[in-house]
Amino acid sequence: MSEHCMYNHPIMEPVISLRNVFKNYGDKQVLKGINIDIYSGQVIGYIGPNGAGKSTTVKILCGLINDYDGDVSIKGINLKTEPQKAKGLVGYVPESAELYDVLTPMEFLSFMANLYSMNENAARERIIKMMSAFGMEANINQRMDTFSKGMKQKVLITSGLLHNPDIIILDEPLSGLDANSVIIIKELISKLAKEGKTIFYCSHMMDVVEKVSDRIVLINDGKVVADGSFEELKQQQGNFSLERIFAGITGKEGIDNAAEELIRAFD
Amino acid sequence: MNFLNKFLLSLVLLPARFYERLGVNVFHLRSILTVKLMMDDRRPNTFQQARQKKKEKPVSSATLGTMLLTGLLGSFFLIGFFVGKNYVTHLTFYFALFIFMLASTLITDFTSVLIDVRDNYIILPKPVSDRTVVVARLLHITIHISKLVLPMSLPGIIFVWIKYNAWGSLVLLIMILLATLLTIFLINALYIFILRVTTPQKFQSVISYFQIIFAILIYGSYQVVPQMVDKVSLKGYDISASKWIWLAPPYWFAGGWQLLAGKDFQPEWLLALIISFAVPIFSVWIVVKYFAPSFNQKLSQISGSSSETTAIKKGSIARPAASPYVNGLAKIFTRNGAERMAFLFCWKMTGRSKDFKMKVYPGFGYLLVYAVVLIYNSHRFTFYSLHEQTREGKILLISILYFSSFMLIMAIAQISFSDKYKAAWIYFVTPINPPGQLLTGAFLSVLIKFYLPILVLIAIPAISIIGPSVIPNLLLGLCNQVLISSLIAYVNLKQLPFSVSQSNAKKSGAFIRGAFTLMIPATIGLVHYLLYSFTWVILLLAALSLTATWLVMGTIRKTSWQKITAGYEEL
Repeated sequence: MSEHCMYNHPIMEPVISLRNVFKNYGDKQVLKGINIDIYSGQVIGYIGPNGAGKSTTVKILCGLINDYDGDVSIKGINLKTEPQKAKGLVGYVPESAELYDVLTPMEFLSFMANLYSMNENAARERIIKMMSAFGMEANINQRMDTFSKGMKQKVLITSGLLHNPDIIILDEPLSGLDANSVIIIKELISKLAKEGKTIFYCSHMMDVVEKVSDRIVLINDGKVVADGSFEELKQQQGNFSLERIFAGITGKEGIDNAAEELIRAFD
Repeated sequence: MNFLNKFLLSLVLLPARFYERLGVNVFHLRSILTVKLMMDDRRPNTFQQARQKKKEKPVSSATLGTMLLTGLLGSFFLIGFFVGKNYVTHLTFYFALFIFMLASTLITDFTSVLIDVRDNYIILPKPVSDRTVVVARLLHITIHISKLVLPMSLPGIIFVWIKYNAWGSLVLLIMILLATLLTIFLINALYIFILRVTTPQKFQSVISYFQIIFAILIYGSYQVVPQMVDKVSLKGYDISASKWIWLAPPYWFAGGWQLLAGKDFQPEWLLALIISFAVPIFSVWIVVKYFAPSFNQKLSQISGSSSETTAIKKGSIARPAASPYVNGLAKIFTRNGAERMAFLFCWKMTGRSKDFKMKVYPGFGYLLVYAVVLIYNSHRFTFYSLHEQTREGKILLISILYFSSFMLIMAIAQISFSDKYKAAWIYFVTPINPPGQLLTGAFLSVLIKFYLPILVLIAIPAISIIGPSVIPNLLLGLCNQVLISSLIAYVNLKQLPFSVSQSNAKKSGAFIRGAFTLMIPATIGLVHYLLYSFTWVILLLAALSLTATWLVMGTIRKTSWQKITAGYEEL
């Protein structure tokens, strides 16, 4: 999408840059040439229908997949040649509450801090502060297997932010959180962006993406099909909600018919 | 972390310099191993899982408990020392038991403990080098296996020390380590083979079949081995008498021990020694060189969310839900509506639920083993006695008949339980009345699935050996089985199929009820035996039995919601 001059920052280096990224699973091509440049302090809403290649992109950015074609660099560091250095700059909050739930938050988060080679005492202090901010200071030494999904999610978010990364990748971070926590996370995202952090926000919840992100990248079938701020998308696609715009671009045979057919099935 | 894990951890981290030279970050390595060992300690072990306690206190020091039990298991191997007349024979049996038990433990542990897919999300996105992760995984496997092997081999080593000498026990330890390497190779090869013939998605269920087979074999060996040891003939038995024994790996290790510890310098023992060193080392080389790389990748797919799995096959909508013959059976045996639904549902669930299979199928195997032992031990059993309907022949037929329903009874006892018991809300939100139909549907499904094949298996040989004169007695026996199991269903089946968590099973009085359950068929069987020759009485009783079954089924079918909901603590 080179026609968007708004994001051509001639002076600034992109923080995340994906160039001609292709990825195949067997003979199925999942990413078909992704080109995105992301700059410091941006909140990117990365959206797309199921199977569009969203989570594949996230996995590449986190260094989980390295057999892709094309160039991916984080702050100018090539993810293929210097993966450790690049991974150290990224904080990742995975989607499906994947954590070692027989551990306590303190044990789990200290382990994460160790893997980021943080100072142990500093890490400890930070863990207590962050968990307290989430109102979980009482649970800090309890095993997580009894935690609710929202509590686990809070631990995961903490684990992604613990080492104060410049780039934060959030994959559906609000799932399972109650309304109060959602407000906290939304505010947290905008505060982090103000501090110059770059946030890559992956979600299906269009209303949240619409509000938190200042740039929306929509992918469909392995390709970027729309890229710009919500205002720009509205100018291109008409003055609709993001939900509508999303449906307009990615809906295959028109989702209006789907509801109609469902109703007709009773006849 | 307990002292044992701390000790093992510091032991494997001794060559820290060496790891560093390999390009491993020792700080990361220590963190990963610490966390992994801590998690192992909190994972309930097989024995604790089997008890299925309600959450009382969190599991800790699971390692110590497992090691104690493994040590106990290891002392069972000592039985090998009572077989045969020389140490080669003793040790061949010892190693056979050792390899078998180690393999059966590892086969279940390997995926659940050592390959944790969560690692992909938790460790891999962190700035940790691949080499550190690989070394951490290898060391974790080493620690895990040594926690099994050391207690397992300890009783044998002590035994040899006392009976033989210290040098003998040291050689034994070396041979055990070599046998361990070979076992790891065998498990790896088996995994590769399974992954070749099935998809990673089906892997878990294939492994669970192996678990079932192992459980049955272990049970069988408990039945058979003590009897074998009793036989005086085995005392003078020398395993080297057969040349085929060279195909059995335990023999190599026993032979190697014979050369080194027994100082028996015969060329055949030298050959055994060379093989017992060469084969494990060669197999480890194969594992590292060829298996490991693709292996990890494939294993990570086992419970990973690979995108290919979600691809929905086109045209699958048109496919019928069950094979036509099951639908045919359902039409014959059940009434239309909820009962038929329950029949088909239970048919599919009993075939597909790993949980159910793991609980019921080993039981089938145990009974099979028991039946074989029973027949094997009844020395007076001959086809002649069966054919001529002598006293022994009658007893055998009656005991087989009344024994056959135990499998069905076990299946009935399990039909209410499921991992996914929460999905049972469907019963409570739909307008089913009376819910007893669900119970009869489930009962009939289990009856047809688990008893009909056995019925055929009994009836065909019985009629072909004894002749048509056996039919009345056969008929009464079978009718009685159906009656007994329907009575048991009436008493025990108070909850809807697959609607209760196993941990909520009522434990109190289980023994009494179990004993009672055994008493009913035994008593009826005895009466049947006494009346065996009165054909008309037998036929009359068969008719009565059938009528009674009909009435019991009718009663179950009328079970009301009040009675059903009483069985649930909360809805």
